[in-house]
Amino acid sequence: MAKAFKYGLKGITGYLEPAERELLRSLIDDVISMLEPEERAGQDPLAALIGLDMDVAAPSDRAVLRLLPDVMKNDDDASLEFRQLTERSLRETKIGALRAAALDLDKDELVLTGDGPRHWSMALNDVRLVLAERLDIRDEEDAGHVHLMQDWSQAEDVESYLALVYNFATWLQESLVQAMLASMETRR
Amino acid sequence: MTVSVAPRPDIQEGTRTGTEEATGSLTAPDIPWNLVIWNDPVNLMSYVSYVFQSYFGYSGTKANKLMMEVHKKGRSIVASGSKEQVERHAVAMHGFGLWATVEKASGGPGGKSGKSGGSGQGKGKRG
Repeated sequence: MAKAFKYGLKGITGYLEPAERELLRSLIDDVISMLEPEERAGQDPLAALIGLDMDVAAPSDRAVLRLLPDVMKNDDDASLEFRQLTERSLRETKIGALRAAALDLDKDELVLTGDGPRHWSMALNDVRLVLAERLDIRDEEDAGHVHLMQDWSQAEDVESYLALVYNFATWLQESLVQAMLASMETRR
Repeated sequence: MTVSVAPRPDIQEGTRTGTEEATGSLTAPDIPWNLVIWNDPVNLMSYVSYVFQSYFGYSGTKANKLMMEVHKKGRSIVASGSKEQVERHAVAMHGFGLWATVEKASGGPGGKSGKSGGSGQGKGKRG
C-alpha cells in the first residue's frame, strides 16, 4: 500500500508500490498524449517557437477543454484569440510538470524537493480532471457517488475501476497538498 | 460578504476621472479587469487554497476565505488589475488546473461582486 506524503527534514517524501507507480505512470502518459500539440504541415516554425498557434481551435474533447479552458465566458472570439497566443505554452507547462512527476516515479525513493511538489500537485490535479471527465463528474453529488467506491474487490467494470483510480489519485494529491501546506507553514 | 476581496478602492480612484469625460471611448487603458475562479467538483479545497497562497502570496486566512467563497458561491474574484495582468494570472491558474476566467470589472457579469444576485450564468448554486 502507498503511504501518504509527509513533510520532513529531507523534503516531502512518499512511498508507492511498484504497481501503483505503474498505474500513475500510465495515467500521466495518457494526459501527456492528450496535451501534446499535433504537428501540422506548413506550420510557421518561428510562430511555433515563440508559442503562437494561429490555427488553434477550442478542444472538442471535454477533458482537454477542462485542461485548457476558455479564458472568457460568453466570448468565443476573445477566448480563441487568447488561445492563439497562450495555449501552446500552457500545454508545455502542463506537459513539463507531468514529465517531471513521471521521472520521479523512476527513482527508488520518492523524495520531492525544489519544484518537485508543485509539479506533482499539478500533474495529479490534471490526471484527476481527466478521470473526472471520463467518470462524468459534473457536480458535488456526482463526486460524492464516486467517492463511495473504495473497495478494489468491487471493481467489476471500467467505470468502477476508474472510480477507484480517481479516489486513489485524490487521496494521494490531498496528502501531498497537506504536506506542501505544512512546509509553507514552517517557512513563514 | 465579498466586497473586501478585490482591491476595489484604488481601482475606482484610478479610473473614475479619466473615463467619465473621455469622448465616449470604451477602451481606456486602465479599465480594471477581474480574475474569476469558478467552483468545480474536482479540485480539492486544500489545493485551491495552496494555489492562492503560493501563487498570489496570500495569507492562509485570505486564501481560505477566497476558496470558501468559490466553493459556496460558485465563483470568486481573486485578483484585479490590467487586462494583461489578469490574463497572465488566468494562464497560471489554468496551469494549476483551476477554472479561471477574466472579465471587465465594471458592467460585466458579477462585476459588482455579485451580491445583488446577478450571477445569471447558468451554473447558479452548487455545493
